Amino acid sequence: MAEVRLENVAKAFGSLTVIPDLSLHVPDKSFTVLVGPSGCGKSTLLRLIAGLERPTRGTVRIGGEDVTTKEPSKRGISMVFQSYALYPHMSVARNIDFGLRITGVSKEEREARVAEAARILALEDHLDRKPSELSGGQRQRVAIGRSIVRNPKVFLFDEPLSNLDAALRTQMRVELAELHHSIDSTMIYVTHDQVEAMTLADQIVVMNKGRVEQIGSPMDLYDRPASVFVAGFIGSPKMNLISGKRFGNPEAETVGVRPEDMELTEGQGYEATARVVETLGSDTIAHVRVDELGDLTVRLPGHMRLRDGERLRVTPNPDRLHYFDADDRRMETARA
Amino acid sequence: MSESTMPPPDRRPGPAERLREAVSNGRLTAALILLPPALVLFTLFVILPLGESGWYAFYDWNGYGTPEDFVGLQNFEQMFGHSVFSVAVGNTVKILVISLVVQMPLALLLALLVYRQTPTNAVFRLIFFVPYIMAEVAAGLIWSFVFDGNYGVTASIATTLGIDKFFILADRDLAFYAIMVVIVWKYFGFHMMIYIAALQGVPDDQIEAARIEGASRTQIVRHVQIPYIRPAIAVSAFFAIIGALQVFDIIIPLTNGGPSNQTHTIVTYLYEFGLTRLRIGFGSAVGVVLFIVAVLVAVFYQRLFMRKAAS
Ligand SMILES: Nc1ncnc2c1ncn2[C@@H]1O[C@H](COP(=O)(O)OP(=O)(O)O)[C@@H](O)[C@H]1O
Ligand SMILES: [Mg+2]
Repeated sequence: MAEVRLENVAKAFGSLTVIPDLSLHVPDKSFTVLVGPSGCGKSTLLRLIAGLERPTRGTVRIGGEDVTTKEPSKRGISMVFQSYALYPHMSVARNIDFGLRITGVSKEEREARVAEAARILALEDHLDRKPSELSGGQRQRVAIGRSIVRNPKVFLFDEPLSNLDAALRTQMRVELAELHHSIDSTMIYVTHDQVEAMTLADQIVVMNKGRVEQIGSPMDLYDRPASVFVAGFIGSPKMNLISGKRFGNPEAETVGVRPEDMELTEGQGYEATARVVETLGSDTIAHVRVDELGDLTVRLPGHMRLRDGERLRVTPNPDRLHYFDADDRRMETARA
Repeated sequence: MSESTMPPPDRRPGPAERLREAVSNGRLTAALILLPPALVLFTLFVILPLGESGWYAFYDWNGYGTPEDFVGLQNFEQMFGHSVFSVAVGNTVKILVISLVVQMPLALLLALLVYRQTPTNAVFRLIFFVPYIMAEVAAGLIWSFVFDGNYGVTASIATTLGIDKFFILADRDLAFYAIMVVIVWKYFGFHMMIYIAALQGVPDDQIEAARIEGASRTQIVRHVQIPYIRPAIAVSAFFAIIGALQVFDIIIPLTNGGPSNQTHTIVTYLYEFGLTRLRIGFGSAVGVVLFIVAVLVAVFYQRLFMRKAAS
């Protein structure tokens, strides 16, 4: 039982209020991703859960227990840092069992746990090396290994993949998902990368300026973004957000349509000029200037041939429009 | 699941190749233009005086005229046979030991207390650093007042405790301990600053990671911070050793080597028995010995500690 609950938590650094008032439930054994733009308070929130920061107000509960004033080491959590935070003078094995050593766990127990972690993370051949002799991906695994051996109730990750190159990031993403399946603990993962959020999470928490914008499964957020902010943040390429044209809903202030929900049409639809065409192979991303609507992005099949500057016509799929009111909130009912 | 990222083996270019490269990228020209002035100055003001005193060391010479009275190794024999020289060497070793086992740990402790950037810490750092920036002679004078048995702080202590007046700096056995107190006080700030700079470079998240793992404050110091600043400690120890070999100007105002020549260091010995007694040849011999010791220490220290620390 290791759900995490934040109740009316606030955090200020001096006069700077980073988190005004935030409540959040992270279910037991879930993979919850906190996502949002840089500086929105994700790391601060994670550090509040870890106990590296004390909230200005509010309560933090882990597994039902109030841990608001408890030391980080007494919370049953472990944390993987963006920089990995490995000790440069210790071997991989000693980095991994550091916490066990200083808290007096027996040698046999330590060796068993290190061996198990090394097996899971394919680090068996590197246990005697120093961190400086490892690649970025291997260092990342050592940092994760250090977390695993403590058998925490909750794993915390702060942008663990952002120092890796794109290929390795994809690989580590898969490994993290596997890890979650195999060890079956609660994981809270911070990232500013919505692709990581979409692929890893079973619950995404979208944050903006220290507030929760929306909580839901990846597909919830994708199909039914609760606000213009979430609509623009989740999904790649970004959702097209059109203001000033109502598409049949007289109350809508902003209308959103995803690039894949636009079609090229012959003889009807909005007239447009292709500005830049990006050919990705699997699909083609066309940045078009629509005479009536401004600049939009259209996602087309991979073998679509389009030239820059070509005239064409586009039509949004009317069933896949997202309407937002003057407060940028989603409008559910009044669909025309 | 593991990716192999072995770097290609390092192939060192040969000398000819390196020269060709230096010519083509203009580094040779730069060296030819920029090196001579430095070399001339270095030769004029370092190499020549060194060579000269190496030469004087074999003469009995009072500093006037040209040295003519060649005495071979007599100066060296005299020096090594002189009981005061042994005392001076012993004292220099004592300073060295005190620097390494008292001064450096003290400096590290204080650095750990004040390295974080806060206004209060800035004030304490400044206070701790004042002795180091104070002129040696001024520091010596202040402490000679402190140790003055008639009017100084020790006098007040004696009066308060109702014991006889005592004169530490005039006591054959105690004088040098008083001097070592002053030396520790005078120079710990320097080492403290080196440690502060290094401690500020320890990444916060390494310390936080250790906290999460359950490390206590002292365990963090011992297992995270000190290992991380080991290169800085190696540098500071190097300065402590070289500094111990050179202690001079703090002794003069305190005891001037007395009482009965018990508080000399190698350099005050050189000054007293070489310069003030106009035995420049003898002084040069002491200087040569000191120089050789310093060079040996520097070379071996670099070999043994600095390179390992840097890797
Ligand atoms: N220790 C601190 N002192 C002062 N301000 C801080 C501190 N930590 C974070 N902040 C501020 O809080 C805001 C949110 O930071 P952070 O939680 O790191 O954002 P994120 O991880 O989402 O990029 C930023 O404006 C940052 O400058
Ligand atoms: Mg962050």
